[in-house]
Amino acid sequence: MTPPAAFSAPTVPLTMSELLRLDPLAKVEVAHRSATDQPVQGVDLANSFARLRRVPPHTLVVLSDEADSGGWSLATSLHLAWERAAAGVVISSRSLSASGSLLAERLDITLLVAERDPVDLALALAAQVSAPGSARALRIARCAEQLADQTAIRGIIAVLARELDPLPVALVAGSTLLAGRAAAVADKPGTQLVKVPVTTATGHLFAELVTRIPAGAGDSGTVESLLALGRTPILAAWAQGRLQQAGRVELERVSFRMLREAAAAPAVLDLPLATGLTEPASWPGELGWQLDGINRAIWLTRSTPTAPPADGEQDEMTQLVHSLWHTVLPNWPLAPDEDGWVSWSTGSTDRPAAMRRAARSLSDLLSRHGLVAGIGGAHPGARGLVRSREEARLTARVATTLAAGSIEWFDQIGVRAALGWLPIHSLEGVAQLCLTDLLAAKDRRALISTVLAVLDNGGSLSVAAGTLGVHRNTVLARLARARELGLTFDQPQVRLAVHTLCFALDTAWGHAAMEPDRTPPGRRELMR
Amino acid sequence: MPPSRPASGAQITAADVAALYAGANFYSPSVGDTTRVTLIDWLTGLLGETGPLPLLKPESMPATSWCAALCILGSGAALADLPPAGDEFVTAVRTLERTIDRPLAAVYPLAAATVSALFPVIAAAQLGLPLLDCDGMGRAFAQINQTTMFLAGLSVSPAVLTGAAGETFTLTSPNSERADVLSRSALDVLGGWAAFAAYPASIGDTARGASRGNVSRLLEVGRLLLEPMSTDLLVNRLSAVNATRRIARGRIVDLEHLTRPADLSVPTHPTSAVLDEVGGAILRLELRSEIVAAFVDGVLTAAAPDLISLFDVRSGRMAALDSLENGDLLDVLVTPADAVWYSPEGLALVGPSVHHIPLDHPRRR
Repeated sequence: MTPPAAFSAPTVPLTMSELLRLDPLAKVEVAHRSATDQPVQGVDLANSFARLRRVPPHTLVVLSDEADSGGWSLATSLHLAWERAAAGVVISSRSLSASGSLLAERLDITLLVAERDPVDLALALAAQVSAPGSARALRIARCAEQLADQTAIRGIIAVLARELDPLPVALVAGSTLLAGRAAAVADKPGTQLVKVPVTTATGHLFAELVTRIPAGAGDSGTVESLLALGRTPILAAWAQGRLQQAGRVELERVSFRMLREAAAAPAVLDLPLATGLTEPASWPGELGWQLDGINRAIWLTRSTPTAPPADGEQDEMTQLVHSLWHTVLPNWPLAPDEDGWVSWSTGSTDRPAAMRRAARSLSDLLSRHGLVAGIGGAHPGARGLVRSREEARLTARVATTLAAGSIEWFDQIGVRAALGWLPIHSLEGVAQLCLTDLLAAKDRRALISTVLAVLDNGGSLSVAAGTLGVHRNTVLARLARARELGLTFDQPQVRLAVHTLCFALDTAWGHAAMEPDRTPPGRRELMR
Repeated sequence: MPPSRPASGAQITAADVAALYAGANFYSPSVGDTTRVTLIDWLTGLLGETGPLPLLKPESMPATSWCAALCILGSGAALADLPPAGDEFVTAVRTLERTIDRPLAAVYPLAAATVSALFPVIAAAQLGLPLLDCDGMGRAFAQINQTTMFLAGLSVSPAVLTGAAGETFTLTSPNSERADVLSRSALDVLGGWAAFAAYPASIGDTARGASRGNVSRLLEVGRLLLEPMSTDLLVNRLSAVNATRRIARGRIVDLEHLTRPADLSVPTHPTSAVLDEVGGAILRLELRSEIVAAFVDGVLTAAAPDLISLFDVRSGRMAALDSLENGDLLDVLVTPADAVWYSPEGLALVGPSVHHIPLDHPRRR
C-alpha cells in the first residue's frame, strides 16, 4: 500500500489556512483573512518595532510588549509586517480595534486575535511550522473524526468544504453537480482540478469528489488525502438514502394496493372504507395520506405502455419519478401502482382548479421523461379514490396515443377511453400481413394519415385537407394511391377495421417519429 | 473685506486682532472657541485706546536690555470658567521685575499660538512695552521647558504665575523640567490657569535662543485664513507662507480613546482619530494636547514637532480637536516647525519619543 500523499512531501511548508484549522490557531478570532494563502516558513515573537523590521518573509508574527500595545502601534506593526511580507500577525484581544481590522483589510494581511500568552503561543506555532508533516497528519485525523459524525451527503461535503476552505468542493456525477459548489468544476485559469473517484463495492463509478487548487500548489497531496476521506462516508450516506427511499416507495406501493383491494372486497367495504374511512386504518395516516373528502386521482405512466420495462428498470424509473415529483409537488402523495404511479388531491369539495395547476406544473417534467398522465373524476372517500384512480389510469392509456407530456381528463374523453386499450402493436402486426404493398411504400405515413383524417372527418375531403394542411387535390391523389396499394376504405363492412388499423399505425408511427430514442434523458444520464 | 495690514509691518493695530486670533488658532488645533469673543473685544478695545503696538525685531533693540516670555498656563476651559480680572500679566511682569531687580524693556510670547499669542499683546499694551517678533516654540507645546530658549541654555526661572484671584507665585528652580512640574501643581490652587512670565534674559541672549519672526508669520497666516477662498488655494498660500502641505483628505471613521499609556508629565489623555482617506489609505492621528503623530497605513508620516492641523472641509474652518466627530471630512495639514526642533536635542525634547512613540521622526529617516 502506498502511503498517503500528505506524507510524501513532509517539508512543504504549512499554509496559513492549514494552520488555522489546527489548534491553537483553530480557536483564535480571525479579524481579517488574507485573500492569498501564504506559506508559513517560520514564527517570530516580535516585542519591538526594531525586531519587526528584521523578520524574514513568510513569517507568522506573534506580537508582544511594545509592538502589541494597540492603537497606532498595531497600525505600525501591521505595516511593518506587510513590508516584510509576513504570513500573518497575531495580537492580543486588548490591542484589537475596529481601525486595526480596517487596516489589516486594506493591507490584506491576515490578522488573528488570541487570548493565549504570546510566548506560549509562539512556541506552539513554531513546533507546528517546523514539522509540517505531523501537523498535516493531525489535520487529516481530525477531519476523519468529523466525517465520522456525518450521515448525510450534504453534511459530508460541508465538512470537506470547511476543511478545505477557501477551495470549492463538489460531488459530481458526470457533468451533474450532486452537492457542493459549482466553482469546483468551473474551469478557471491558474488552477488545477483535483478529483477523487467514489466507486461502489462493485467497482461502479458512483460520482467524483472534486476541488480546484491553485496550479503548482505544494500540498495537493493533502487536499487529495482529505477528499479521499470523504469517499466511504459518501457511499454509506448514499446507500442509506437509497435504502430509505426504496423502503418508503415499497411501503407506498403496498399501501395503495391494500387500499385498492380493500375497496374491491365487499367484506371489507362494510368496514370504515364504506363510509369513506371515517376511522381510517393506521397505514394511510402514517404515510401522510388523506382520504377523507372528495378525491381526484392523477395517474402517471410511460408514453409507450406496450413495452413493459424490466423490474430493475421500473425501480430506477420509480426513484427518478419520485425525486422529480417532489421537486414540483412536494406535498402531494405519490405511490407506485401497477405499471405507473398514482397521486391524488383531497378536499372537502371538488377542486379541479388545484388539479389544473398541478397539471400545468407537471407538463414539462412529464414530457422530458417520456411520461403521460390521466386525471380521474372527483369521488368521495377512499372508495371514491380507488374509482378515480381507475378512471385516471384509463385516461392515461388514451394519453399514451398522444405525445409525451400529454395530460388528459376522464371528464373529457368519454368513450374515447376505449381507444387507449387497443393493442396497437398487435394491430401493427395485422397490418404487416394485410397491407403488404402499402407498408412497403415510401410514402406510407402520409397515405395512412390522410386515410385516417378522411375517416375521422366523416368522409369530408375538404375538412380532411384543412386538418392536414394540404390541398384537397393532394388528399384525392393520396386516397387514389392508397386504394391502388390495397387499402379499401369506402366499403361499409371493412370501414371500421380500416379505421382502427389506420389509428393503430398512426399512433405507433407517431411515437416512433416523436421519440427517436425511447430512453428519457434523465435515465440516459443514470445509465452512463 | 480682509483686514488691512499694518503700515510698516512693525506694529499691531486693532484691525489686526481678528487675524491674530485666527493665526493663533491655526498654530494650535486644541484651542477652543469659548473665550473668542471676550478676548477679541478686550484686545481691540485696548489697542483702540493705546494705539498700535510696536512689533520689533529683537536685534533692533539694545542687546543688554532685558525681556521676558509671557503665556497663559493651564487650560482654555478654566479661562472661560474663571475670567481674567485684567491685571494678571501686569502683576506677573512687575513681580518678575522685582525678583530679578531690573526693568524689562520688552516682552514676547512664550508660544505664538493659542490664546498665549494674544495675552502677550494685551500685556504689552497694558505695560506700554513693545512686543518682540519672536517666540519660544513657533507653535504650542505642552511644557514650559519645551522651548528653543531652553535648548539655547536659557533658564525658565525665575518665573512668576499670577492667578485671577490676585495670587502670585514666584518660582525659582535650577532645573527647568522640574519648574514645569512645580508650576503645574501651583496651577491647581490658582484656579486652573495663570498668567505666566518667565525666561527673563537680555534681549541679546533671547535673540540667540528664541525662534524669530513668528508673530508676524502668525498674522500672515491669520489674514489668509480670514480671506474667503477655496481650500486648495488656501493650502497653496499657506505653503508659501510657512511650507504647509496637505498630507491627506479623509473622513473620520473612528475615535479611539486611551489608546496608549500616557506619561504623567503629559497633561492630556491619548486619543486616536482614524480617517478613511479619500485616496483609500487608513490615516491615524494620535491626539494629546495637540496632534502628535499622523500614520498613513501604519507608516509614521508626520510627528511632533511638525505642526499637524485639521481643516474642516465642509465648514471651511480650522477644526478644533475637542469638537471632532465621526463623519467629519477633514484636510490634514502639516507645517514644519523651526529647524532647531529637528536636531537630536530638539527631538529629544519634543519629538515622538516624548509621546511614547519609539519611532524615528520622518524627517530624520
